[in-house]
Amino acid sequence: MMGRKPLGWALAALVLAAASPAISRGSSDGIYTPAQADQGARVYAMKCAMCHGAALEGTVETPGLVGKFVANWAGRPVGNLFSYLGRAMPQNAPGSLTPEENAQVIAFILRANGAPEGNRLLPADGAALERLSLDAVQPAI
Amino acid sequence: MRGALVAAAGMAVPGSLRAQAAAAPLMGRPALVPMRLSPDQLIDLKCCIRPLRAAGPNLGTEMVREKLVIHNYGHGGSGWSLSWGSAEVAVGKALSVLPDRIAVVGCGIIGLTSAVVAQRAGLQVTIYARDPIQRTRSFRASGSFTPGSRIALAGPAGAQFPDQWEQMARFSWKMFRTMLGLPGDPVAFGESYALSDNPIERRTSSADPAITASYETTGLPHQNAEFAHLDSRIRDIVPQSTPLAPEENPFGTPYAQRSSQMYFNFPAYTHLLMSEFLARGGRYEMRNFHSPADFGDLPERVIVHATGFAARDLWQDHTVIPVRGQTGWLVPQPGVTYSIRSNNMSALSKADGIVIMNNNPDMGDMLGVGDSMELANRAPVEEAMASLSRFFIPPAERSAT
Repeated sequence: MMGRKPLGWALAALVLAAASPAISRGSSDGIYTPAQADQGARVYAMKCAMCHGAALEGTVETPGLVGKFVANWAGRPVGNLFSYLGRAMPQNAPGSLTPEENAQVIAFILRANGAPEGNRLLPADGAALERLSLDAVQPAI
Repeated sequence: MRGALVAAAGMAVPGSLRAQAAAAPLMGRPALVPMRLSPDQLIDLKCCIRPLRAAGPNLGTEMVREKLVIHNYGHGGSGWSLSWGSAEVAVGKALSVLPDRIAVVGCGIIGLTSAVVAQRAGLQVTIYARDPIQRTRSFRASGSFTPGSRIALAGPAGAQFPDQWEQMARFSWKMFRTMLGLPGDPVAFGESYALSDNPIERRTSSADPAITASYETTGLPHQNAEFAHLDSRIRDIVPQSTPLAPEENPFGTPYAQRSSQMYFNFPAYTHLLMSEFLARGGRYEMRNFHSPADFGDLPERVIVHATGFAARDLWQDHTVIPVRGQTGWLVPQPGVTYSIRSNNMSALSKADGIVIMNNNPDMGDMLGVGDSMELANRAPVEEAMASLSRFFIPPAERSAT
């Protein structure tokens, strides 16, 4: 069985890595601007906060967008999150975010999860976002 | 004397009801503790999306890389009610490839039941899920035995589906019977009263020829006649409504029916299932899946996929149609052991509260179709409470609603 062959897994991982677009930078490198996150806060307040909460805290029923959110998305390209928001959110009107709004909301969420601001806009482009990783939050000591 | 509603100790009730309490109930007219349906009793609102799948639940299989994925999602408003039978089908497919352990993705009632059924068959099981069952859409259902509720559209489901549905419904019914009378009453029966000022007629769903749009043309059903209606196939085991004579009717309405309704107490039921899962060595791992390809990363080579409405996006299955529903929950009233309904408004007493529903009778199965707004709206719940509360005042003092 495959599950008992570590070598097979290692090979599969290598093949997968080769097939994936190269990750150039991550969310800990400053991949969005403060103005973009501010715009994202406005979009969030209008289209997201009614379910996910004003402080992104979520509810028993609706996932929060801080903390556990990082565990759900870390280690993946930001493009995965961009794609998901673009096609599935807001749940009552999926597909209604423009690519620019989508990137702004992601910038806002990244900032809320401690990712540093930078000088360059987070691209509103799925292919470009496939080359940026969503990094785990560094513990504050 | 009218009615046989009795006052519970310490409960504030109108003087007329207090007077009735002193009288012994007549044979055939049960003594019922009145429900308190005042707004101060409302402690929770729940809203969720039923995953109606046009062709009925997906129980098919497919390969993702070298993994066998067995689907078990898309049960409409029938997930709880069909859970055991549907798990039996899915786990049977898993067993046919002789695994010693399997993964279950999703921890709603379908996922958790599938996991326990697999364990009872001797398999090691790991559940991978974003949330435990208490935070899933399953826990936001109303929790009655409704195996035919928005389970499929008749056309897309095809000629074979009714037989498979019946098999799953009968299997589930027998399994629920094994859970009756257990501590906490995970499964229970209660008397259900349908009350009306007018003769109670069963609604039919004959096709309206004026409605030309259909699932085939728009991807959404447009009238009740498009839905599969299968409940009559198991009427030999499921209690049916019987008309009540005036001397049997505790509510004093001109017309009434009574039936026995099976329902599920979520806290006790999910505690029981989760306890069995863990006692049998089951492992639960928090995990979010972003695409079917992620299934290829799991160590198990056989995977039961039970993500319910989330499968619409995760598996890009756009035949899964959102059907919004909501419930209001009152403080539990342990002396109240029955339910009432009138004009598609209902109040059902359960261990974790009295469930209030307000379903527009003219909409039928179409209510909430295509609506994925998952925030609750308090007003219809309060409307139902206000309307139903009239049955707990003496008939002579009621105003018709």
